[in-house]
Amino acid sequence: MVITAQLTNTAVQYRYSTYYDSPSPRSFYFGLSVIIHCPFLQANTTTFIFLPLLVPLPLSFDRANNQNLTVIMPTVSVKWQKELYPAVEIDTAQPPYVFKCQLYDLTGVPPERQKIMVKGGILKDDSDWSKLGLKEGQKLMMVGTADEIVQAPEKGPVFMEDLPEEEQVVAVGHSAGLFNLGNTCYMNSTMQCLHSVPELKSALIEYPQSGRSNGLDQSSHLLTVATRDLFNELDKNVKPVAPMQFWMVLRKKYPQFGQLHNGSFMQQDAEECWTQILYTLSQALRSPSTSANLDTVKELFGIDLVSRVHCAESGEESIETESVYSLKCHISHEVNHLHEGLKHGLKSELEKASPSLGRSAVYLKDSHINGLPKYLTIQFVRFFWKRESNQKAKILRKVDYPLELDIFDLCSDDLRKKLEAPRQMLRDEDGRKAGLKLKQKSSASVDNDVKMSDAAEGSSNGSGESSKAALGGGAASDKNAQLTGVYDLVAVLTHKGRSADSGHYVAWVKQENGKWIQFDDDNPIPQREEDIPKLSGGGDWHMAYICMYKARTIPM
Amino acid sequence: MDPEPNNKTASGTGNPKDESTLKAPSKDPKKKDDKKEEDLSEEDLALKHQLELYVERAQDADPGLQKVALESMRQEIRTSTSSMTSVPKPLKFLRPHYGTLKSYYETMADSDLKKLLSDILSVLALTMSAEGDRESLKYRLLGSEGDIGSWGHEYVRNLAGEIAQEYSKRVNEEASVDDLIELVEQIVAFHMKHNAEPEAVDLLMEVEFLDLLVKHVDKTNYKRTCLYLTSSARYLPGPDDMSVLDIAYTIYKQFEEYPSALQIALYLDNMQHVKQVFTSCPDLLRKKQFCYILARQGLSFELDEEMCADDEDREALQEIINNTKLSEGYLTLARDIEVMEPKSPEDIYKAHLLDGRASAGASVDSARQNLAATFVNAFVNAGFGQDKLMTVTSEASSGGSSNWLFKNKDHGKASAAASLGMIDLWDVDTGLAQLDKYFHSNDNHVMAGALLGVGIVNCGIKNDCDPALALLADYLDKEDSSIRIGAITGLGLAYAGTQNEQIRDKLTPILGDPKAPLDVIAFTAIALGLVYVGSCNEEVAQAIIFALMDRSESDLGEPLTRLLPLGLGLLYLGKQDNVEATAEVSKTFNEKIRKYCDMTLLSCAYAGTGNVLKVQHFLGQCAQHFEKGETFQGPAVLGIAMVAMAEELGLDMAIRSLEHLLQYGEQNIRKTVPLALGLLCISNPKVHVMDTLSRLSHDADSEVAMAAVLSLGLIGAGTNNARIAGMLRNLSSYYYKEASLLFCVRIAQGFVHMGKGLLTLAPYHSERFLLSPTALAGLVVLLHACLDMKAIILGKYHYVMYFVVLAMQPRMLLTVNENLKPLSVPVRVGQAVDVVGQAGRPKTITGFQTHSTPVLLAAGDRAELATEKYVPLSPILEGFVILKENPDYREEA
Repeated sequence: MVITAQLTNTAVQYRYSTYYDSPSPRSFYFGLSVIIHCPFLQANTTTFIFLPLLVPLPLSFDRANNQNLTVIMPTVSVKWQKELYPAVEIDTAQPPYVFKCQLYDLTGVPPERQKIMVKGGILKDDSDWSKLGLKEGQKLMMVGTADEIVQAPEKGPVFMEDLPEEEQVVAVGHSAGLFNLGNTCYMNSTMQCLHSVPELKSALIEYPQSGRSNGLDQSSHLLTVATRDLFNELDKNVKPVAPMQFWMVLRKKYPQFGQLHNGSFMQQDAEECWTQILYTLSQALRSPSTSANLDTVKELFGIDLVSRVHCAESGEESIETESVYSLKCHISHEVNHLHEGLKHGLKSELEKASPSLGRSAVYLKDSHINGLPKYLTIQFVRFFWKRESNQKAKILRKVDYPLELDIFDLCSDDLRKKLEAPRQMLRDEDGRKAGLKLKQKSSASVDNDVKMSDAAEGSSNGSGESSKAALGGGAASDKNAQLTGVYDLVAVLTHKGRSADSGHYVAWVKQENGKWIQFDDDNPIPQREEDIPKLSGGGDWHMAYICMYKARTIPM
Repeated sequence: MDPEPNNKTASGTGNPKDESTLKAPSKDPKKKDDKKEEDLSEEDLALKHQLELYVERAQDADPGLQKVALESMRQEIRTSTSSMTSVPKPLKFLRPHYGTLKSYYETMADSDLKKLLSDILSVLALTMSAEGDRESLKYRLLGSEGDIGSWGHEYVRNLAGEIAQEYSKRVNEEASVDDLIELVEQIVAFHMKHNAEPEAVDLLMEVEFLDLLVKHVDKTNYKRTCLYLTSSARYLPGPDDMSVLDIAYTIYKQFEEYPSALQIALYLDNMQHVKQVFTSCPDLLRKKQFCYILARQGLSFELDEEMCADDEDREALQEIINNTKLSEGYLTLARDIEVMEPKSPEDIYKAHLLDGRASAGASVDSARQNLAATFVNAFVNAGFGQDKLMTVTSEASSGGSSNWLFKNKDHGKASAAASLGMIDLWDVDTGLAQLDKYFHSNDNHVMAGALLGVGIVNCGIKNDCDPALALLADYLDKEDSSIRIGAITGLGLAYAGTQNEQIRDKLTPILGDPKAPLDVIAFTAIALGLVYVGSCNEEVAQAIIFALMDRSESDLGEPLTRLLPLGLGLLYLGKQDNVEATAEVSKTFNEKIRKYCDMTLLSCAYAGTGNVLKVQHFLGQCAQHFEKGETFQGPAVLGIAMVAMAEELGLDMAIRSLEHLLQYGEQNIRKTVPLALGLLCISNPKVHVMDTLSRLSHDADSEVAMAAVLSLGLIGAGTNNARIAGMLRNLSSYYYKEASLLFCVRIAQGFVHMGKGLLTLAPYHSERFLLSPTALAGLVVLLHACLDMKAIILGKYHYVMYFVVLAMQPRMLLTVNENLKPLSVPVRVGQAVDVVGQAGRPKTITGFQTHSTPVLLAAGDRAELATEKYVPLSPILEGFVILKENPDYREEA
């Protein structure tokens, strides 16, 4: 009895110290409960006695007591993972649990996790050694890990498949498509383009359901509400949406879209649809009460033009100002690039009655942009009325347009002055980015770069201050962001086909995550940014009809 | 000059090699000869007259004169040498007199002279006798029975042909064939002496007396003889093929070509022969090589004292059979090729090579895509013991492993946990340690996965401690059915092909358990089928049959029910006729499953036999058109592939037949055809099959497309084939919106890069001679599961994909020295060339490159040592090959 106790005593002591740190105190009780029966240990263990387990123990101990001295202790080798522990003595008088404790010392695998392969299965804590037919030098295999047990994270991941449909939108990365209700692709693509303007969405959300007392006609009101609802639907869904309500209201407001041809609705000009919708929205979203927010649509899309009308014959000259929602890009033989087309579009000849000459004379109208919108809409004037065929014919000429458009040289002198400071900042910013990149690239010229970027920073600060000072009193700068005259392409509405009343309209919209999506009615298709400028015409492929650019601003 | 010392029939002195006695077209008009007489040269004219004189003299009354005439005639015939393309002159000039001599012969009294004339007539009949008369043979039998070779090869060949005809006629008439056999023996001896082994074998096969061959083979010709025997066996109907191979085995054993003998023994699945090989070979090192061959076949085989007396040696040998060193060898190969670095699924998808489409929106985890990544990760890093998702240490990325596991949903977690088994494949010790921590999980799916993982890690490896059985046995009766399935499937994988009775005792009760859910029963049937694959075990068959009969009508319609007949079929895998009794029983099943069961049993039983009749039978089944979806045509189509995959010719024919099915078959056939193609060309990306599958992968029917995509993965499995990888990459962008198809694309990508290109799924090995039944069984289970993709692979039983582990083997040649340590030697690896029946010592490979071992072997590749310094102990350089130093080697100065 004493011998046994002493033998195990060391193990117990050891276990005691290690178990003390064990994360699970339960195993500690179990571990000890086998051996604590030894009287002289009771001093340590009184607090840990674990009754239910103590009951079977005396049996084994009695047996140990009787046989201990005569029992041979076979030596076995134990294989654990890649390691082999060659000579492990088994005290067959003790329950296998003691053997497991021995292994715990060797491997650090807690006994309750040890699985020892013996004949006919796994060694149980209470199995009888004699029945296992253990041989001297037998190889045993132990499986078990000393590592922490893997716990499921408290919060499981959220899977896309489990999300409600509206949340899947975020995951998909683009909003839903629109079903074609019968030649309504012009409307669908227009709406997809407009839908990409978040400011318009937020303005629509504020639009009251009840309508306003600003003399807005009922159909305009309904159209505005329908637009709001449609935008909502698009944001909520992954699957394509059928714009039934909107389509009905649109036809009501603008009966020309309801034209029938051979019993089905006719294809219409998307530009017309675009203009009409924007016009309606500008009417509806004009708030009469608050003075600050005059006209949301105008603020977003309106372009102020100042024109000098000059008559060469009489030398008369007058200045006119007007506000338009889009710039026209006229396409002639000389025009190869959007910029040229725009310039072309800003100059026009008109014939009107000259007060000085008393007859009609040719006037030259030379326009400049005097006020820039947040979203610059550019229409390629691709369709012209062909009298002989009695249809809107299309100019297929290729007109390149850039992803980044700078319209500084189309601006009036006043506007140029105003833009100068923000543009300088923008340049500095770009320069700084380039400088930083340079610094990262070449470690050899670190000093130079640092100086450069320091200098750049210094100058930008300086100019920032000066521009602030200059614009400090300016009433126009009620917002922090300043326009720079630089625009980024955000949406393209393309047309494919030979005439405005036929063919197919598609919207190509840049998403908030920077990805381009081609909305071909109900089918959104991801596209590469490189492919967007390829929609410039010159073939039978989709070609840009309306481009929407978003202003690049700089915080002041 | 050929010395013919021991030929008992040798009497002539003529040298047959100098004689060329090619047969001219017998329709050669006689008239022409007459007309041409004037054109003959003087020499020929003289010969002609001389021969005419002989003919006249031969009919003379004086026997002396007769004899001289006949002997002179014989002399003329034998010594005539002419070009190979024309009839020898003496024969030509004697042709007009054939009739005369024949009629005179009839009048002659029996004598030596008559025999002499008979011999001459026999030779003349070579060009004269009408088709089917077999006069050459007739006169030969009546003749002097002298040295047959003295009349030349052509004569012997013609005689052999006539014997074959005569033999079949006599057998039909039940007449005696003794005289023929005597002649056959002469002919065989002649052929075997003169490098015409194929002719000898052909003749013996015709007269069904192959045993005679053993007497005539010697050191110089036994290899060619056996090669011809083994390769012709593929085209013979049973049971002839077995007897042919038996002869080959005997010959190999006789010449101590034990590895080849062992291979034939394995082909015959004859354990008695295998034992004989062990007992008759005294060399321990060679025995070790045998063990490697046995291990590759995936056979569980216990050595006894008779086979290896020494305990220690026996243990060493048994260790090789148990495949314990497979992992080590595989990692040696991996290190040598420098592909140890773990790969993540993204490395495989290579999304950066695609346009912006595929990567759109990855902000939220998709359970299906994560599951796909789990599988891809498991397959790609299979056996390497390290990966970038599951085994990363928790320090590296805040609880990395657990994180990935729990990024899978529900039953996906089972596959994720099991993937650890795949990553640690064959490395039992590490694998079990890795899996152990999941045993303590409180998530049932994780537990189930861990159990399955234990099975996977033990797949093909036997261990004295039987850890898989010990660990899994306790979970067989758990309440949760996913845990049960995990344990059952794990046992099936770990003990596939072992016929372990303990497992049978544990699993059969589950089949009879009325409370057990259908999926548990289905997987039990599969597990039993795997453990007892190809055993024809009655008890197991009974248990599965009863389980099938007990199913309710509604159960029989469930997709998983198809696994029950399959389990039954696996028991008879490749056992041909043995299935008949069970097939009869299956006719009594509920009609819903009857036909399906019939097809499955038949396809399994004849799998890998190349039996053309069975292929025709299956094609016939597929030709029927049904109004509503009958399911039995699925296994029938797979059956075509399973049967025809045995040899190249049949395989090509099957591919063409499957094209027809694509054109004319109904949807249920069309969706199976890609799978059948996948099985036919598994790990062997043939370009035209690749193109077919690529076309089908864009099919309007999504099930066809899914099957085609998966099959693209199967045919490229473990090859890293750049073309398939590119196709799949493009498919991944094409199907980016269709979750199910994208899942299949991902899995296929995982297959193609399986084991980073070091593995193969081909169940055929040893130069496409041997078929590993467990490997085929694993593939067949997967393919049957793919018959209903939606319910099984895309449903919650996606872990059936892990059944491919049974077929996974390193496609390597690893040479080891006498201490079984890797030894690097130069080898030539090239496309294997068929050298059967070619004379001399033709080159066996073409377009080879020289590498140093270990090397990868592609499908159809063969290797040969490029150094004389070592001698391989196996004639087939595949897998582990022990090299012995060549005692005769001299270092070149």
